[in-house]
Amino acid sequence: MTTPVYAVENLIIDLYTPTVSVRAVDGASFEIHPGETLAIVGESGSGKTVMTLGPLGLLPEGVAIDMRGTARADGRDLVAMSQSELSAMRGGEFGVIFQDPMSALNPMLKIGPQLAEQARRHAGLSAADARKEAVSLLARTGIPDPADRYDRYPHELSGGMLQRAMIALALAAKPRVLIADEPTTALDATVQAQILALIRQIQKEDGIAVVLITHDIGAVSVLADRVIVLYAGQIAEEGSAIDVLTRPVHPYTKGLLASVPDFRSEISSGTREIPGLPPNQTKVEPGCRFAERCSIAQPSCLARRPTLLPVGDGSVLHRAACPVVLNAQGVAHQ
Amino acid sequence: MKLGRLPWAILSPAITFVLIGIFAPLLMTHDTAQQDYGALLQGPSASHWLGTDYLGRDMWSRIIGGARTSLVAMVFVLAAALVIGVVIGSLAGYIGGITEMALISVIDIMLALPSLVIALALMGVFSGENFTWMSDYWKMILALTLAWWANYARMSRAVVVSELQQPYIEAARVMGASHIWIFVRHILPHVLGLVVVYASADAGALVLAIATLSFLGLGVAPPVPEWGQMLVDGMSYIEEYPSLVIIPGLALTAVVVSFNLLGEAFALQKVPKAIRGSLLRRKKAERAAEDEARRRVEAGA
Amino acid sequence: MTTSPAIETSGLAIHFKTASGLVRAVDGIDLTVARGAFHGIVGESGCGKTTLARAIVGLQTATAGSVRILGRDRTTWQRDDRKEFARTVQFIFQDPLGSMSRRQTVGQTLEEPLQIHRLGSATERRKKVSELLDLVAIPSTVLDRLPRSLSGGQRQRVSIARALALNPQILVCDEPLSALDVSVRAQIVNLFARLQAQLGLTIVIVAHDLAIVREVCSAVTVMYLGKTAEEGVSKPLFADPAHPYTQALLSAVPSPDPRIEASRSRILLEGDPPSPLNPPTGCRFSTRCPVAVVQCRTAEPALRLVPHTGQAACHLADSGTHPVL
Repeated sequence: MTTPVYAVENLIIDLYTPTVSVRAVDGASFEIHPGETLAIVGESGSGKTVMTLGPLGLLPEGVAIDMRGTARADGRDLVAMSQSELSAMRGGEFGVIFQDPMSALNPMLKIGPQLAEQARRHAGLSAADARKEAVSLLARTGIPDPADRYDRYPHELSGGMLQRAMIALALAAKPRVLIADEPTTALDATVQAQILALIRQIQKEDGIAVVLITHDIGAVSVLADRVIVLYAGQIAEEGSAIDVLTRPVHPYTKGLLASVPDFRSEISSGTREIPGLPPNQTKVEPGCRFAERCSIAQPSCLARRPTLLPVGDGSVLHRAACPVVLNAQGVAHQ
Repeated sequence: MKLGRLPWAILSPAITFVLIGIFAPLLMTHDTAQQDYGALLQGPSASHWLGTDYLGRDMWSRIIGGARTSLVAMVFVLAAALVIGVVIGSLAGYIGGITEMALISVIDIMLALPSLVIALALMGVFSGENFTWMSDYWKMILALTLAWWANYARMSRAVVVSELQQPYIEAARVMGASHIWIFVRHILPHVLGLVVVYASADAGALVLAIATLSFLGLGVAPPVPEWGQMLVDGMSYIEEYPSLVIIPGLALTAVVVSFNLLGEAFALQKVPKAIRGSLLRRKKAERAAEDEARRRVEAGA
Repeated sequence: MTTSPAIETSGLAIHFKTASGLVRAVDGIDLTVARGAFHGIVGESGCGKTTLARAIVGLQTATAGSVRILGRDRTTWQRDDRKEFARTVQFIFQDPLGSMSRRQTVGQTLEEPLQIHRLGSATERRKKVSELLDLVAIPSTVLDRLPRSLSGGQRQRVSIARALALNPQILVCDEPLSALDVSVRAQIVNLFARLQAQLGLTIVIVAHDLAIVREVCSAVTVMYLGKTAEEGVSKPLFADPAHPYTQALLSAVPSPDPRIEASRSRILLEGDPPSPLNPPTGCRFSTRCPVAVVQCRTAEPALRLVPHTGQAACHLADSGTHPVL
């Protein structure tokens, strides 16, 4: 196995505001290797964005952050880095695309020069080369007539085109990891399909690592090699996309998938629901966080946090944090 | 905006002024108009805590009485200006169109001039023969009201316009609510919320304006105790008895400063504060204790 | 007239004047929603589906055409008896939080429609409010809380409860699911389905989640740039869509099963939907349609019968056949 380009171990992130303290990430570990696409799936508040972007120093301002555990990119310790070191490292190693393209693009500047500037700063190109690079990035991301679009302002582009321009911007510094935070949530179905196809194509061509943060199971199914399912800041299940999406083990993963109807299947599954609401994570409590909504929960679930253990279906990567299910399946564990 | 989170230290000077104004009769030791030619221009003593003025009137009682005069005039003006401002601003915001344009023009013209200048001009107009039926006191109240409403109208209109765009107004419409229902139940509370807060911060400027008009001989007529009037009276004796000017001057300054502090505090409340220092340390300690408790529970299991 | 449909629009057009020109948000829609139907309206942003829904309840004025509710003209009904209209048709907003006053507690929010309509005494109203909470399955402990302290799912439940306070016959919902998390979405969809069966409601739901529309809706209208592209009974329509746009739209929705995703071929449309400021001539989909012919760019297709027994606006489709992408 290659060395991971981004790895996080036993990460705990507490967020503090004057009114609440939130345990956003509660002891999660993951790593991502070059050439793979990892999807981090969870509902709002599950900590998926905080877990991925927190160690990179990309959290909203105005909250105090307390981070413990290890986070390494390219062998370097991120937790110990200062904000300026982080931002220098981030620019070259990580490209990030967001739900809202306008959060990445400067509305006052033309699209092309923004790309060229990024390419110059991180790839050390001359002004002329940077311009050429910017035009080719626009072309690569499927923007028609890139030489003309180079001189356009963001507001002159449609939603889908802006999304592409933001992807071009993220790629300008030749990152080794592309992090896509809900890249398709705000887009229409037909445009969504285009953007997913584009991300997949870039991933194949450049062999970079892609982290897809999403709650859209469909997007995961299109793009991901590997999936992590996050619930209330803890990893419920992880494994290959096929394993997790077609043979889910953890009751939360099962519930989540059952609540997503698939209109290609002939039999109407009926949208099933998970009763109750996710916990608000303002308190640190023992036990499985899903237990209160879980139909198979036992008293022991409330006493001890479950650890991720191999499911035992032949895949070493497929692991779930549910001793009840794993015991029932006869999987030995301590 | 929540008053509950305002520190009492900021609120208390303004509240003290209001309380003094309300309970003035209880605090006064002498009749404010009672002249005592046997005790002119005296220093502080057991019977006259702040001394007496050039007519032998008790300074303490006159300062307290002056607070009441200012408070009463201020309440009249603020209440009237608020009502006029809210009504005109709300009409402009709610009706829109040409009505709104016309009302905004009037408001803008009023706001382009300093309120005190408008009030002085109006006092000039009211000194004409057609207005002899009004006492100087009511002329002052009327002039200040007409000079003061425009700001509240501008704010009211802004709140009405922004609230009208909220989806919950449409929701009320879908429920069959009338315009009056929507205005009274949903929009007015927002308007009043902002305007009343602004008015409380504005009160200092108004007290100063009342004193200014009286100082110029346009407002409260003697012998009613009034700080501006006391300043004028004291001016003649400023060389020998500066306390006659200093005492009402200080009272006026204190009131203006205390209401400005209030306004400042309201403005700062809108700025979100990041958590740091001891509060953050305490929260982190709470979190660490929760972590420890969890470790113990899980070790026991 | 018990035979008249719950909702009927004819030639409904809604145009907006903007700084950059005339936006033809809805441009001639004939929609019929049968009584007791669960009718889905789908399409991409800018197709006019929200504007259409808003026009049904009178939140938008029609530029041309009419809306009839239970056989009565919407405009005159609302003008003559605003309250009676409100007791017949209710609306659910996309953003439940925004649709509730941030100053009112849940209890006050639910009581407001009853107060507007002067229904019952204070005690009776309180009883009705607690019945409403039961109906949408939220504990009465939320009564004294402000909407912003509720979760997304609870907020939408409260907004549904408020809409039901007046016992309406018709419920029009504008993207009621899009602000919600996946697992909560299923809860709300099931709630709609249950309420419809329990109360005999007619529900119109504007949505972009096609899978959910297929799951719960009996009928569906697919809109594209202010026009109806296709309509019909939902299951057969989704099984055999006749309009190339519907086919592309369905194809764009990924399957949650990666094995299906890996094997199926996807129809990828070029570009974004055109702007309703300047819709293409002829068939509005012709600029993105892979099978468009010359006629499509010159003549506007009318709705016609197609194999799934619904209607589609495509020159290349008829009752026996339709183009396949």
